[in-house]
Amino acid sequence: MNENLFTPFTTPTLLTLPAVVPIILFPTLLFPTSKHLVNNRLITIQQNLIQLILKQMMMIHNTKGRTWSLMLMSLIIFIATTNLLWLLPHSFTPTAQLSMNLAMAIPLWAGTVITGLRFKTKNSLAHFLPQGTPTFLIPMLVIIETISLFIQPVALAVRLTANITAGHLLMHLIGSAVLALLTINFFATSLTFVLLLLLTILEIAVALIQAYVFTLLVSLYLHDNT
Amino acid sequence: MLSRVVLSAAATAAPSLKNAAFLGPGVLQATRTFHTGQPHLAPVPPLPEYGGKVRYGLIPEEFFQFLYPKTGVTGPYVLGTGLILYALSKEIYVISAETFTAMSLIGIMVYGIKKYGPSVAEYADKLNEQKLAQLEEAKQASIQQIQNAIDMEKLQQALTQKRHYLFDVQREKETVAKCIADLKLLAKKAQAQPVM
Repeated sequence: MNENLFTPFTTPTLLTLPAVVPIILFPTLLFPTSKHLVNNRLITIQQNLIQLILKQMMMIHNTKGRTWSLMLMSLIIFIATTNLLWLLPHSFTPTAQLSMNLAMAIPLWAGTVITGLRFKTKNSLAHFLPQGTPTFLIPMLVIIETISLFIQPVALAVRLTANITAGHLLMHLIGSAVLALLTINFFATSLTFVLLLLLTILEIAVALIQAYVFTLLVSLYLHDNT
Repeated sequence: MLSRVVLSAAATAAPSLKNAAFLGPGVLQATRTFHTGQPHLAPVPPLPEYGGKVRYGLIPEEFFQFLYPKTGVTGPYVLGTGLILYALSKEIYVISAETFTAMSLIGIMVYGIKKYGPSVAEYADKLNEQKLAQLEEAKQASIQQIQNAIDMEKLQQALTQKRHYLFDVQREKETVAKCIADLKLLAKKAQAQPVM
């Protein structure tokens, strides 16, 4: 039973030991590896999906950008799986914690920026100034572009956290509403339950989309900088 | 086998011990006396193609067969209903907000699996079949190539036989021509002598 609304979001402890590490590592159990050519259906479908996503994601990059494929693929699969797993009752999502998302976003973003600055210094610095600006606006625009650059990792992390947390909270609240209405008015209960169903479908979509967006943006930053 | 693991771990920990790898086989043979059990699971036994049968996605079929002699067909269902009602009434499982989220999620999952399950399974099977068909095609192409090479070889051999035949005829003609030339020469000599 949840005492208040914050209980699902606290980091879980097992006898006062933090149990977050096994929870973060858990999705690896869901993706079996196989050394055979012809596998069972689960592995075939997973491999096919990963191949599809890989082609979609890494087509736009050149050779230098494609060295990041492993990183981006594991990123999208990790975020998608953890987001989908929080739909189960009483589960804990690592990606709902801001600390975790910042830890993912900042190093990746910093990696793309430093790669750009190191190998293509002039090009990456030129990104601070869009083409065709009037001369007197240049200082202002450089400042604005710098700010927008530095806000990228924060935006990545906060976007993911806010979406997942908000969805989770909404599900909880509507669930409580259904529970409270159960004894009062059955018709309203069924209406609210239908709402809950629709919300669940939305959350599944959101889970996948957020993973996609995160990875897509990192890959875009990479594309700019390689 | 653990002795090999220990040796490799020691080698990575202290590079000076890398030469200890040469002691490996000796240590292996020496520790063989400790392996007294029968080797089982080696070679790895083949996995079954289909898993065990499950009812309602959770409960194995063997459970129903296990209860059948004593309680008949309705036995497991009565047991399940009783357990659920017991848990609910004693508040071992509490109905909370999460119950409804779980119910909605499970409802959607069951609906999705029932509706799209077979088509997804068919798709997976098709992917596997495509892989096998590609390999099969490669094998057939290679067999065809080798067959063509064999036929070509046979043709070449037949041609050389024919050429051999031709060559023989050529040689016979040559010898016959030589004979005729010799005879003509002799005839000329013979004619020349009586004149003298």
